[in-house]
Amino acid sequence: MTAGTDVGERADASGDHALVVEGVDSGYGDVQILHDLSMHLEAGEIVCLIGPNGAGKSTVLKTVFGLLTPWSGSVRLDGAEIAGTPPEDLVRRGVGYVPQIENVFSSLTVDENLRMGGVARESGLEARIEELYGQFSILEEKRGAKARTLSGGQRQVLAFARAMVMEPDVLLIDEPSAGLAPSIVEEVFENVEAVNELGTSIVMVEQNAREGLAISDRGYVLDQGTVRFEGSAEELLDDSEVADLYLGG
Amino acid sequence: MLSMLQYVANGIVFSSIIILGAIGLSLVYAIGNFANFAHGDLMTVGAFGAIIGGSFLTGYVPGTEVSIVGIPLSFYLAVLVGMVVATVVALATERLVYRPMDATPIQLLIASIGVALAYRGAIQLRYGAESRTFDVGRGGPIPIIRETIGVSVTQRHLVIVSLTVVLVVSLHVLLQYTTLGRKMRATADNPTLARVSGIRTSEVITAMWIIGAALAAAGGAFLGLDTLVYPDMGFDVLLVLFAAVILGGIGSVYGAVAGGLAIGMAHELTPLIPRVGAEYGPAVAFIIMVAILLVRPSGIMGDRQ
Repeated sequence: MTAGTDVGERADASGDHALVVEGVDSGYGDVQILHDLSMHLEAGEIVCLIGPNGAGKSTVLKTVFGLLTPWSGSVRLDGAEIAGTPPEDLVRRGVGYVPQIENVFSSLTVDENLRMGGVARESGLEARIEELYGQFSILEEKRGAKARTLSGGQRQVLAFARAMVMEPDVLLIDEPSAGLAPSIVEEVFENVEAVNELGTSIVMVEQNAREGLAISDRGYVLDQGTVRFEGSAEELLDDSEVADLYLGG
Repeated sequence: MLSMLQYVANGIVFSSIIILGAIGLSLVYAIGNFANFAHGDLMTVGAFGAIIGGSFLTGYVPGTEVSIVGIPLSFYLAVLVGMVVATVVALATERLVYRPMDATPIQLLIASIGVALAYRGAIQLRYGAESRTFDVGRGGPIPIIRETIGVSVTQRHLVIVSLTVVLVVSLHVLLQYTTLGRKMRATADNPTLARVSGIRTSEVITAMWIIGAALAAAGGAFLGLDTLVYPDMGFDVLLVLFAAVILGGIGSVYGAVAGGLAIGMAHELTPLIPRVGAEYGPAVAFIIMVAILLVRPSGIMGDRQ
């Protein structure tokens, strides 16, 4: 466990933190998954959450995004408390979320999926969708096709683009590489990096820990619902203990 | 013996009524996520809203005796009144019963049986158990249709079928080409992702109840125009509505239209089967439902596993 020396600094510098999760307990029904979990995201960063199955990585994202209400602790967006704020409101405050599964409307067309991604936009929806078609040509080709007819990789691109219609300041992505072929995983990660360069701060949960950390600024290693290690992506990749326990040696 | 075409004509009229009820039932299942056993009685509420509300209109609004397709304007206004009444009742029920319960689909189903009994009981308490008819004049078969193809079709039938077509086409346009319609389809498809995308699903649920209740009220008023208005009228067609919805693929609006047509036709074509009387209409409709489900377990338009 990393020493808590930077806790004081963190409070002072909270103006720079796009997102802060502090001392959060959370779970489903009576089952507690997260135990006193703290993490933060600075503006402009990509932060990767890694750890074994059941560590609570996805639960962190669901708790931040209001799909779960934290039992205790605080979640702050640009310094304002958002714990328990419902997803439909967070979307309007510049937070986006790409779920791991069932992340497209399968009975709607690609174009309709993107329009649903932009229901909270006040203006410029058409222009934004055209911009995304320019960025992801596969979506333009398939714009009239039902999302259920897309391949796994195409579906992941659509899920990502749907969240990007809102041009979020903070994007939460749950396992973008799950179930995809290695060549497509690379493409997905390139998209994540490209979006980050345009100014979106990103928290990404990733099962492919090495590849995920490789595109990230910092990482957190979660185990049993709490943070075991945290540090810059390089530090975590070089740490022999992290490597042995969590990166598959 | 009536001609085959006559039974088909009767089938189209009955199917129209069933389709209007079935669409709402399917919408509540798709978006509200439960089987609403009060939907038949919501048709009754609409029919009573129309017949009672309409009788006030005739007295106070001038010009309501003007006829359109042989039916006085007062009837069309009465249908609108019935739609408003059913919508208000459905929204009040949602706010006072279903939403505060915050319950599972099965619990909501059971609650809806209680709601159905409450609707029916309240109507019977206030207006009695006797049957009423819409005061739209006698109106026999249209002579020209009778003479040319030997089928007796009344002006009432024409009004029922053409207004149903207008309502169903309007709903289709709404669902396919408007933002509200897309939000409704998105919420039916994946409610969590709908919220994640920023859709305020409580607004979609409100729209769903308004549309479902308004169509149910139109169906109830048309059923009353074709036959009689009485407190059990909606409950009497509830199982036929369920048959139509299940046959079409539960949760699919287009399935409800297809299923409503199939079940309504089967119901009315029953007398064509030798030695089987019209009283077996519902039974034949159910046999056809079971037979089709054996071949297509998810229904005609259903695509869920």
